[in-house]
Amino acid sequence: MQQISVTINGRPYQFLAGDHEMLSHLIREKAGLTGTKVGCEQGSCGACTVLLNGKAVLSCITPAMRAHQAEITTIEALAMNGQLHKLQEKFVDKGAIQCGFCTPGMVMTALSLAPELDSEADIPALIHRIKKGLSGNLCRCTGYKKIIEAVSEYVLETAGKNPEIREPALQPATGAVGVPRPYIEAAKKVRGVAEYADDIASKNALHCKFLRSIHPHALIEGIDLTDALGLPGVHAIATGKELPGKFGVLPVSQDETAMAVDKVRYAGEIVAAVAADTEEIADAACRLIKVSFRPIRAFLTIDDSLNDAGESEKIHDTGKFNNNIHKKVELRFGDQRKGLEEADMTAKMSFEFDGLSHGFTEPHAATAYWDENGLTIITATQVPHYLHRALAKVLEVPLSRVRVIKPYLGGGFGGKSDPFPHEIIVAHLARKTGRPVRVRLSREEVFLTNHGRHPSKMTVEMGISAEGIIRVLDADVAIDGGAYGSFGVVTSYYNGVLLQAPYKLDNFGFRTYRVYTNKPQCGAMRGHGAVNPRFAVESLIDDLARRINMDPCTLRMKNFLDSNTLTVGQYRITSNGSSESLEKVMEQSRWRERIGKMEKGRGLGVACGFFISGSALPIIWNELPQSVVHLKVDFDGRVLVTSGASDIGQGSDTMLAIIVSEVLGIAMDNIFVLAADTLLTPVDLGSYSSRVTFMAGNAAKDAAEQLKTEISRAFTKKFNIGAEDLIFSENRVFSHDKTVDCSWMEAVDILTAKRGAVSVSGKYISPKLGGDFKGAGAGLSPSYTFGACISEVEVDEETGYVKVTQVWGAHDCGKALNPLAVEGQLEGSWHMGTGQAISEQMTYSKGLLFNNNFLEYKIPTTLDTPDIHASIIETIDPEGPFGAKEAGEGAIHPVIPAIANAVFNAVGVRITRLPIQAEEILAKMKENRISEAKI
Amino acid sequence: MTQPKTYIKATSVEHALSLAGESSGSFRYLAGGTDVMVNKFQGNDDAGLLIDISGIDALRQVSATETHLVIGALVCLEELAKHSAVAGNFPVLMEAANSVASPTIRKTATLGGNLLCGNRCSFYNQSAWWREAAGFCLKCSGPLCLASGGKKHCFSKFVSDMAVALISLRAGIEISDLRGVITIPLESIYSGDGINPSLLSNTAIIRAIHIPLHHDFRSVYKKLRKRETLDFTSLTTAISLDKTGMIRIVMGGVHAKPVITDGTGTEDLNSLVSQAVSATRMVDNDTYSRAYRKAMIPVFLDRSFRELQLI
Ligand SMILES: Cc1cc2nc3c(=O)[nH]c(=O)nc-3n(C[C@H](O)[C@H](O)[C@H](O)COP(=O)(O)OP(=O)(O)OC[C@H]3O[C@@H](n4cnc5c(N)ncnc54)[C@H](O)[C@@H]3O)c2cc1C
Ligand code: SF4
Ligand code: FES
Ligand code: FES
Repeated sequence: MQQISVTINGRPYQFLAGDHEMLSHLIREKAGLTGTKVGCEQGSCGACTVLLNGKAVLSCITPAMRAHQAEITTIEALAMNGQLHKLQEKFVDKGAIQCGFCTPGMVMTALSLAPELDSEADIPALIHRIKKGLSGNLCRCTGYKKIIEAVSEYVLETAGKNPEIREPALQPATGAVGVPRPYIEAAKKVRGVAEYADDIASKNALHCKFLRSIHPHALIEGIDLTDALGLPGVHAIATGKELPGKFGVLPVSQDETAMAVDKVRYAGEIVAAVAADTEEIADAACRLIKVSFRPIRAFLTIDDSLNDAGESEKIHDTGKFNNNIHKKVELRFGDQRKGLEEADMTAKMSFEFDGLSHGFTEPHAATAYWDENGLTIITATQVPHYLHRALAKVLEVPLSRVRVIKPYLGGGFGGKSDPFPHEIIVAHLARKTGRPVRVRLSREEVFLTNHGRHPSKMTVEMGISAEGIIRVLDADVAIDGGAYGSFGVVTSYYNGVLLQAPYKLDNFGFRTYRVYTNKPQCGAMRGHGAVNPRFAVESLIDDLARRINMDPCTLRMKNFLDSNTLTVGQYRITSNGSSESLEKVMEQSRWRERIGKMEKGRGLGVACGFFISGSALPIIWNELPQSVVHLKVDFDGRVLVTSGASDIGQGSDTMLAIIVSEVLGIAMDNIFVLAADTLLTPVDLGSYSSRVTFMAGNAAKDAAEQLKTEISRAFTKKFNIGAEDLIFSENRVFSHDKTVDCSWMEAVDILTAKRGAVSVSGKYISPKLGGDFKGAGAGLSPSYTFGACISEVEVDEETGYVKVTQVWGAHDCGKALNPLAVEGQLEGSWHMGTGQAISEQMTYSKGLLFNNNFLEYKIPTTLDTPDIHASIIETIDPEGPFGAKEAGEGAIHPVIPAIANAVFNAVGVRITRLPIQAEEILAKMKENRISEAKI
Repeated sequence: MTQPKTYIKATSVEHALSLAGESSGSFRYLAGGTDVMVNKFQGNDDAGLLIDISGIDALRQVSATETHLVIGALVCLEELAKHSAVAGNFPVLMEAANSVASPTIRKTATLGGNLLCGNRCSFYNQSAWWREAAGFCLKCSGPLCLASGGKKHCFSKFVSDMAVALISLRAGIEISDLRGVITIPLESIYSGDGINPSLLSNTAIIRAIHIPLHHDFRSVYKKLRKRETLDFTSLTTAISLDKTGMIRIVMGGVHAKPVITDGTGTEDLNSLVSQAVSATRMVDNDTYSRAYRKAMIPVFLDRSFRELQLI
C-alpha cells in the first residue's frame, strides 16, 4: 500500500492504493466514480476507458500507482453545470445508447479520438477512421451504427459543418407513438451516473467469491474448510449442503442447487462460497478450501450422452432412461411420407452449430441484505419475478419476505433470465453473516455461468414441387443442454415448432432430443431455440431454389403464409409482413439487378425469419395476468407508471412512457416510470420471449385508458359532457367544440378533488389460443413477427476469409412505437447474428471452455460489423398496443442464413457448420474444383 | 508464502537496473504494462516487485544517426506509427504497429514491451483456475505439454508483431544490463524455448531499436487473425527486400521464436517458401488449426512476393 495523490475530474484525492491495484478499482471502489465500467478486466472490451493526463487508457490494466500525481478524467467530468457535453448529446440524440454499459468507455474513447479525425475527409473516409478508432470498444447492443453516427456528427458539427449522414430519414410523427426518441434514461447513462448492479454501494458489505469445480463430473467426497475459515477477514463460508433446495426457471426442470451438493456436473460449478472483508481475502480463502473430488465418467458431447450410461454415471438420476437424454419431443402434422412422395425435388442436409455466449457487456453482479423486511437483493436480472420465486423457495422464506430490485442493466439477451446460483448464495450468506454481501462475476465466470445458445446438430429434409411449393419439412434435432435444465424443455420445442412459419406447410414434423452433458448449462439466447433450425431451413430453401432454377426470393414469396390464417400446428397468424419485408430488402440491395451478375468471390444471400411476440402461456401455470401496470396520479400531475417489466437496455421503460403519453395526450416528462422492483411494482413475467412491448405495453395501454376513463367521469360530472366528446391531447383535455378546455393540471385538479391521488391498474391476458394436442402450447403467441435479410459478402478465395460487407434487413414489428429504438434492436440483432455466422463459438477441451474471455470469444468489432441498413415494416397488429409487436429477437433469425447463402453465391460452398470456418471454405472449394474437373 | 506486492517507479535506466539488482525476490519491469497486467490478472505472472520504467524519458526518443534510425524502447506504438521518420523510411513498421491490439492499447503499449510480450498458447493464457483444471502444463511447471498431447517441449507461440517486422529490416536491439550497454541483432534475443522465450538476462533493459537506413527496403507485412483488430496473431509475415536483392522472410505465431528465412529475390521463391514452412514448429494451440495456419504461409508469402513484384 502506498499513499498517492490523484486529481480526478479536477478534484484532488489522497488514496491508500495497493501496489498492484488497478486504476479501475481505485476509481470505482475508492473514488466511488462508478461511471467507469469493467466488462472484461483484460483490456479487451474498452468499457473501462478513462483519460490519464489527457490520454485514453484502459483502467482495468493500468496500475493505480500510475495515477500518482496525475490527472484522471472519467465520464462523470464531461457534463458541465448540468449540461451534457456535445458528444454526449449526440450519443443521446442518435440513439447510440441501449443498455449503456459500453457507453462511458465508448464516449471517452471517442473523445480522445475526435481531435485526430479529419473533418475535411469525405464521409466514408471519416466513418472508416471512426470505426478504426473505436475498434477496441465492444458494444453488444447497438451494432455500432448509431454510435458511429453520433461520433461523426459530433466531429462534423464541431468543425462547423452540417452533417447529413443519416439514412433512412425517420418519419416525423405527431403524438408520442411513432416518434423516434432516445431512451428516457439515456442522459443518465451517458453521464455515467446510472447505477448498475455492481455500482450500488452498500455500507459495510462483505465480498463473495466462489470455489469452482475443476472437474466436469465428480463426486464430492469431502470439503475441508478449516484453513479457509481461519483466514482473518473471512466471515462465512457456505457449501452446497446448506442450500439443498432445488430450483430452475421451469417448473419441470427443478434440477439445480445453488452449490453442488454431492457431486459436480460441470467444470466451473460452484462448490463453496466465501464472504469476506475484501475480494482478495475471499479469493485467498477459496484457495485454502480443500475439496476431495472423485472424478467419474464425463459426458461431453451429444453423442456421449445419447449412449447408455450406468446408473451411477448419469448426470441426473431423475431421467427415465439409462442415458443422459433430458427431453425428447416429437410433433407431426399432415403426412410427411406423402409430402416426400409428392415433392419433385428434395434436399436433406446435416448441420452443426457451436454454442454461443450472450456476450452482454455487464458481468453478473448482485448485492443482498436482510432487514426487518426480509431479504432485498439488487441484481442484474431480466426476470425479477422468477428470481423472487426461486429465492423464496430455496431460502425457505415466504414470498412476502423477498424483494428483488433490478437496477440499470448492461445487456441480457436471455443470459440474465434464469435465477442464478450466485444470487441465491449471496442472499444466503447475507442471512448467515447479518451483513450485506455483494458479488460480481469475472468475465470467465460469466462464461461458466453460460445459459447461452445450445450447441446443436440437426438433419433437415425438405421437398418442393417443380413450381417451388414446399411439400414437406422434417427436422431431426439434437441439442446439447449442458449440466442443467434451464429453459431447455422450451428450447427443445422451439427447435421444431418455430419452423411452422413463415412458409405454409402441410406436412411438417420434427423430433428433438435435448441431452445433459458435463458442461456449463445452456438456456435461452436471443431468438431462443429457433435460430439454428431456421438456418438449416433457409439453407435448404436456397439449395432447392437453385436446383429448380428459381430465384430464392421468388420461391420464398410463393410460400409465405397469409395474414389472418392458421399454421399447420394451429398458430394463429394475424398481421404478417413477410412479403413486404422481402420486397423491401430486394429493392434496397438491388437484388434483381445484381444477383447472378457478381464477380466470383462476391455474393448476395437472402433468408427470412419468424418469431413469437411473447409466449402466450406463462412458465409457471397460474391465473395471473401476464402483465399488470399501475398508474397513479396525484395533485402534482405527474403520472407514475409502475411495472414489473425489466428494462435490460431494450428500452421498455421508455416504451411504457410512450404508451401512457399517447393515451393521455401528455408530455413524456409528465410521466415517471418505476419498474422491476418486486415490492413496489406489480408482476410482469419478465424480459424474455420478446413479450414486453406486446404484453406490458398492452397492460400500460389498458391502465392509461382507465385513467382516461376516470378523468372523463370526473369531467362528465363537473361539466355534464359525454366521455366520447373529450379529447386528450397536447397536455390538455378538451371537448370537440372547445367549450370545455382544461390544461392537464386543471384536469388533474378536477380528478383529484375530494378524492386525492387516483390509482388504476391495467393488465394483459393473452387470449386462449392453439390446438388441443400435447405440445400445442409451445410457441403459441398472441402475435408473430416476420422479416427478411439480404447480405453481401466477399470471400477471399485463397484464405477462405469471409467478410460480411452489407446487411439489408427488414422486420415487421407491427408498429414502431419508437422507431429509433426499433432500429437499434434490429441493428443489434444483425450484429449479433453476424458474430454467430463468422466468428463466435464456445470451444471446449475435455469439458473446459477454452475461450472464456473477450479476446478469444470473438464478438465482431466495429471493423468486423457490416454496414447495416435497417427497414421497419409496419403491419399494425390487431392486438398489439397501437399495433406493435416484438423487435428484439426475431430479426436475428434471417441474417445468419443470409450470410451463409451469400457465401454459397460467392464461392459455391454450402455452409453446414457455424461459425463459418475459413478452413472449411477452402476444403470445400477444393472438393468443388475436383468434382468440376471430373465432369 | 508469496512475496509482498510492491511497485516502484524508476527514474532512470540506472535506477531501474539497481532496483532490479537489489531485488531479492521476483520482479518485473513495467513499460506500458498492457501485457504484464493481463498476465498478472490471470496469475501467470507472480512478480512481487513491479519496476515501472515508463517514466524514463531517455528511452522515449526517436532519432537518426548517419546509418540508423533509433527508436527508444518506450516509444508507444501509436506514436511510432505516426512518426514521420518511421512512416517515411519504414512504412512496414507503421503497418505492424497498427496491427497490434486496439487503438487505445497502442497509446500505452511500448515498442520494447512488444518485443518481450509473452509467448501465447490457448492452454496457457488462462486463469489459474482453468490451468489447474486442465492440469498445469510445462509452461506452468507441470509435467507435460498439453497442446501437443504430451510432449516435453513447449510450443507457445511467439506473438510480437513488431519483432517480425523489425527483424525483416535487420534491426538491432540496444540493451543495458548490469554489465553495460550492447547492441545485437534483434533476433538473437529469442531462444525458441516456449518456456523462456527471451535470452536476455532478467535485469536487462531494452533501450532502443536500431534500424539500418539506406537499404532502400521494400517490405510487405501480413497478419492472420479472426477479427480485423484486437486479436493476437495466428500468423504474421514480414518480407523485406533490400536494394541488393536480398530478401528476408520473418514469421511470427508459428514457433516459439520468430522464424527467419533469408534468400535472394532471384532464387527459386518456392524453395524459400518451403524452407520457411519447414522451419515452423506449430501445434494446435491457437484459434485457427495448425493445419490452416500452415496452409496460410505459402498464401501470405506468395501474395507478398506478388506485391513486391517478385512474381
Ligand atoms: C487485448 C489485447 C490485445 C493485444 N494484441 C496484441 C497483438 O495483436 N500483438 C502483439 O504483439 N501484442 C498484443 N498485445 C500485447 C501487448 O499489448 C503488446 O505486446 C504491447 O506492445 C506490450 O507493450 P507494453 O509496453 O505494454 O509491455 P509490458 O506489458 O509493459 O511488458 C511486456 C514485457 O516486456 C518487458 N519489458 C517492457 N519494456 C521493457 C524494456 N524496455 N526493457 C526490458 N524489458 C521490458 C516487461 O518486463 C514484460 O516482460 C495485446 C494485449 C491486449 C491486452
Ligand atoms: S505449448 Fe504446451 S507447454 Fe507450452 S504453453 Fe502450450 S500447453 Fe503449455
Ligand atoms: S474492462 Fe477494461 S478493457 Fe474491458
Ligand atoms: S449499449 Fe453498448 S453494450 Fe449495451
